[in-house]
Amino acid sequence: MPSHSYTGQDGQESEDYESEEQLQHRILTAALEFVPEHGWTAEAIAEGAKTLGLSAAAAGMFHSDGSELILHFVSQCNSKLSDLLEEEQKQVQLGKAEKKPTNQFLRDAVEARLRMVIPYIEKWPQAVSILLLPHNIPSSLNLLTSMIDDIWHYAGDQSTDFNWYTRRAVLTGIYNTTELVMMQDTSPDFEDTWRFLENRVADAMNMSSAAQQVTLRARYPPVPTPVQIRQ
Amino acid sequence: YQVFENVAEKYDVMNDSMSLGIHRVWKDILVHKMNPSPGTLLVDVAGGTGDIAFRFLNYVRSVRERQLQQKLRHHQNLSWQEISKSYQEEKSNPLGDSQVVVCDINKEMLKAGKQKAQHLGYSEGLSWVLGNAEELPFDDDKFDVYTIAFGIRNVTRIDLALQEAYRVLKPGGRFLCLEFSHVSNPLLSRLYDLYSFQVIPVLGEVIAGDWKSYQYLVESIRRFPPQEELKAMIEDAGFLKVDYQNLNSGIVAIHSGFKL
Repeated sequence: MPSHSYTGQDGQESEDYESEEQLQHRILTAALEFVPEHGWTAEAIAEGAKTLGLSAAAAGMFHSDGSELILHFVSQCNSKLSDLLEEEQKQVQLGKAEKKPTNQFLRDAVEARLRMVIPYIEKWPQAVSILLLPHNIPSSLNLLTSMIDDIWHYAGDQSTDFNWYTRRAVLTGIYNTTELVMMQDTSPDFEDTWRFLENRVADAMNMSSAAQQVTLRARYPPVPTPVQIRQ
Repeated sequence: YQVFENVAEKYDVMNDSMSLGIHRVWKDILVHKMNPSPGTLLVDVAGGTGDIAFRFLNYVRSVRERQLQQKLRHHQNLSWQEISKSYQEEKSNPLGDSQVVVCDINKEMLKAGKQKAQHLGYSEGLSWVLGNAEELPFDDDKFDVYTIAFGIRNVTRIDLALQEAYRVLKPGGRFLCLEFSHVSNPLLSRLYDLYSFQVIPVLGEVIAGDWKSYQYLVESIRRFPPQEELKAMIEDAGFLKVDYQNLNSGIVAIHSGFKL
């Protein structure tokens, strides 16, 4: 599994370096339980540390704006998504499941990923705004693009005529806009959000076929019929 | 020891004049960096006249107030009973069980500190203990945070003090050290030297009637290990994630480490 390193601190040369990072991950994971109550904050991290039997002062290891906690969460969700998609692929390879058409695949993948945010949805807008802070953008962008690339990889897409960059851009746009819609959605089980997602994916697929048509016409322009010159 | 006996009474005044009042800012930054949550147990070693302790108490009190306010805001449909209970909570436990123990080797400094506390109205959550940084009179794994502000350079065996700090901290606990350090910028360094050797002892004579003690202070600052070296010493004592932050280009540095 690719390791996402997102702390800017330069590590020290001690033999315990690896377990230091592991401990930090454990603290952050433990802290997630306290996010609904405390938000993505040092308080949540302090509570998390306490459940591991550590002093609340250990939260001082992290940035006080909660950046690492959010990035840790995003990274965890992305890993979970990868595992899910990997499992699905295996099922298809074993013949136990049908390979989904691209639009269905994309919809399901994005929905699965966004659903992971639901337990924290109240504090999620706060998280998004923190991820947009300049010092976090490199890491948060990195996590986003690898997640998007991951989805396309498992989609095994043959049907669209997009090139690699277009795919990335298109799906990133779909994901981000759907996420925004979800944060303001009050419908039961976010059904409005999933309908929005369905439409956006459909648009993207249409765009692809429209792009194909444009390309075809450019290659094979209709032959001009001779104009009758009236005298 | 004698240096500080002479210095104890006029300590605060001298600090203000020597650092042009900036020491207050440095101490504020230290407590801000600590970001203590209510319920934190702090030991401030060589804490003398209580500067760090008072700032700590102010900080946790305001955090606690904010916490209680937030709790009220969250629960919109509280009964009058619950609201009054919350106000009572605030009154009866304004510090949220936070405590600070000020430990100093010098009786006079502790006395001066106690008087200042009384004068400023600090009573709860504060205790004063006579003790030696190289051999603290506390049990293992006791404190959440250990601070030593402008005290460690006067300790003869710094390694022992660091080991003691490690011992008395709980797992997950934090070590914070605020101390004069090495200025790398050559221009600033010359100005700083000039100021230290020409101005400070004179101030010492004028304000406290004691040239020699302040000459000693300035020299001890020069002898003290620079940032990286202190960092290595702290790591040797067992602390992890050790780092330092320079204030005013290195005139002062805050070192931080965790017992993990």
